[in-house]
Amino acid sequence: MESSSPATPILEVATVTKRFGGFTAVDDVSFRIQEGEFFTLVGPSGSGKTTLLRMLVGMEKPTSGELRLRGRVINDLPPNQRPTCMVFQSLALFPHLSVGRNVEFPLEIRGQRSGERRTRAWELLKLLHLDPNRYYDKNIAQCSGGERQRVALARALAYDPEILFFDEPLSALDARLRKTLQKELKDLQRGTGKTFCYVTHSLEEAMVMSDRVAILRSGLIEQIGRPDEIYSSPKNAFVAEFMGEVNLLPVVGTGDATATWDTGRKTLALALPAPLPAGAAKKLLIRPESLRFLRADETAGNTLPVRILNQFSLGSRLQYHVEVAPGCTLTVERLREERVTGDTALLGWDLGDSQLLDA
Amino acid sequence: MNAAAPQPPPEPAAAKKPARELAPALLGLLSASPFGLLMLFGFVAPLLCVVWFGFMPPKTFSLLQAPTLENYRTIFDQTYFKSILWSLGLAGGTVLVLLVICYPLAFAMAKIFRGGAAFVTYAIATSLFVSENIRLFGWVIGFMKKGVVGGTLAAWFDLQIDSLLYNVPVIILGMVYVYLPFMLFPLVLGLKMVPDQVREAAFDLGASRWQVFRRVDLPLSMPGVLIGSLLVFVLSVGAISEAKILGGQKVVTIAADIESEFTYAQNWPLGSAISTLFIALTTVVVFFALGRFDLEKLLGKKPSE
Repeated sequence: MESSSPATPILEVATVTKRFGGFTAVDDVSFRIQEGEFFTLVGPSGSGKTTLLRMLVGMEKPTSGELRLRGRVINDLPPNQRPTCMVFQSLALFPHLSVGRNVEFPLEIRGQRSGERRTRAWELLKLLHLDPNRYYDKNIAQCSGGERQRVALARALAYDPEILFFDEPLSALDARLRKTLQKELKDLQRGTGKTFCYVTHSLEEAMVMSDRVAILRSGLIEQIGRPDEIYSSPKNAFVAEFMGEVNLLPVVGTGDATATWDTGRKTLALALPAPLPAGAAKKLLIRPESLRFLRADETAGNTLPVRILNQFSLGSRLQYHVEVAPGCTLTVERLREERVTGDTALLGWDLGDSQLLDA
Repeated sequence: MNAAAPQPPPEPAAAKKPARELAPALLGLLSASPFGLLMLFGFVAPLLCVVWFGFMPPKTFSLLQAPTLENYRTIFDQTYFKSILWSLGLAGGTVLVLLVICYPLAFAMAKIFRGGAAFVTYAIATSLFVSENIRLFGWVIGFMKKGVVGGTLAAWFDLQIDSLLYNVPVIILGMVYVYLPFMLFPLVLGLKMVPDQVREAAFDLGASRWQVFRRVDLPLSMPGVLIGSLLVFVLSVGAISEAKILGGQKVVTIAADIESEFTYAQNWPLGSAISTLFIALTTVVVFFALGRFDLEKLLGKKPSE
């Protein structure tokens, strides 16, 4: 994707704040979306991501700050005058129109002739793997969840928007279909070269599709970056935890690169990857795949005797829940070939595989 | 013995089973019978009597005579068609005026007012507590010569106006006023069925306010429009008080004709024949309207396979 020069922002969000009464939904947020990129806003519910999106498409007005589309301030431009378009969470298809007429809707509004409209609708349905012969005249009510997604997408593409926004449209689908459509969406974005801006509560979904991801928490952006950047160096414990199953140990520095970990019942001494002042509290991030079971003669940066509570199969890998101290568990993921048996084991990790993060 | 022993118990159960299956059907029939009997003797039978009475010789009071088409000949020879046209025209006019008045209000109640919608609903429903005739006489006092309107204009602006009563617009005003709730509430329900996100999506796809109304609001609220219009049409086509009280002798509706045949004229067979004809006509109009719009298809719930 070298074609998208990183210097040209298509949309610039500059110090945008949105307040509803005394509640600040979006707090002084700034970022830029580049031409032709797949940009994703991720956050848990209540993080302000939907409010932010509604401002980007024009359904809400910012309390302060500016939205600039190719340099032009668009704060007060209503959605029907913006060259952007959104795929809704509910899809918001027109239930009284056929699939074909749904797709043609924006063209009809623009006053295109019916022959041209039909040709374009057929092209778009084909692009989205819906056989026009079968689907053009089909009723929306007869379409499955996945088919409706495609119709909604075709309708949005028919509008020919400069930026296409998505408000978690895949959240209602089952996991398998969601994965298929995520990949198709990414392919479509590459194929059409359009700028996509996606909103989701699932960082996993964001990681699969996006060129860049912005993580929101209570109206503030915590981190913006490429998925691999966010994965390899999360800015804080919130971002790390949001990424999925990770081990975050609350540690308190004891001078130099050592710390204590209060597990509730007992306090364990740990070696850290970086120095931490005495008394300073941080979180130590260790990914499940960085933890490994040691043979008796092996050593690692930190070693702990653990009790194995449970073992789950994740396909090619196995996940273990192990107990370090009563009531305090860690998650370990190993390849199937490295299966361990028995009730107890020695767990260890290398210092380089752990990171100190702000809580 | 071992194999046979478990067998007998199921048999009584199997014998009981048909009785249990019959019970719900019987109970259903039993519980429906009071209403069924009421409809049979209170609606179907009298209706059949009226239809049959229409074929009896004029000015007689027995059902046991040789049928004749005399009454229908009278209807078509005389000017009853005028009353029929007046009734249909007034009802049609009322429906149109009510659609124009109620749609914006219904939209506000469904989409804009939050707690206020309940207040408007109560306010309008409360008007139904007062008898229709009393409310119509209120308008008479308002519009008669030197009434509330005329008297006020005379006293304050020295403007002498004649009575505003006894014309067609005033009759329509009375009918619009009386039947407003029957149009408003179905429209509110119809508009509530239009999903907000679908309206937003149309707007987002470039549609103007008018286009959103024309292509989303109106078709999706059509069930409400249709039910409201039908209710008002059927109620107002048989209306009698508005034309009598507010219209004086200016307009004779078909309901007034039927009333006078049964009372002053004492011609039950002719009254029955007009009733029968009018019921048939209204039925045709209503079914024609229903046939034009397929409710379920409008709702998008009907698979066309």
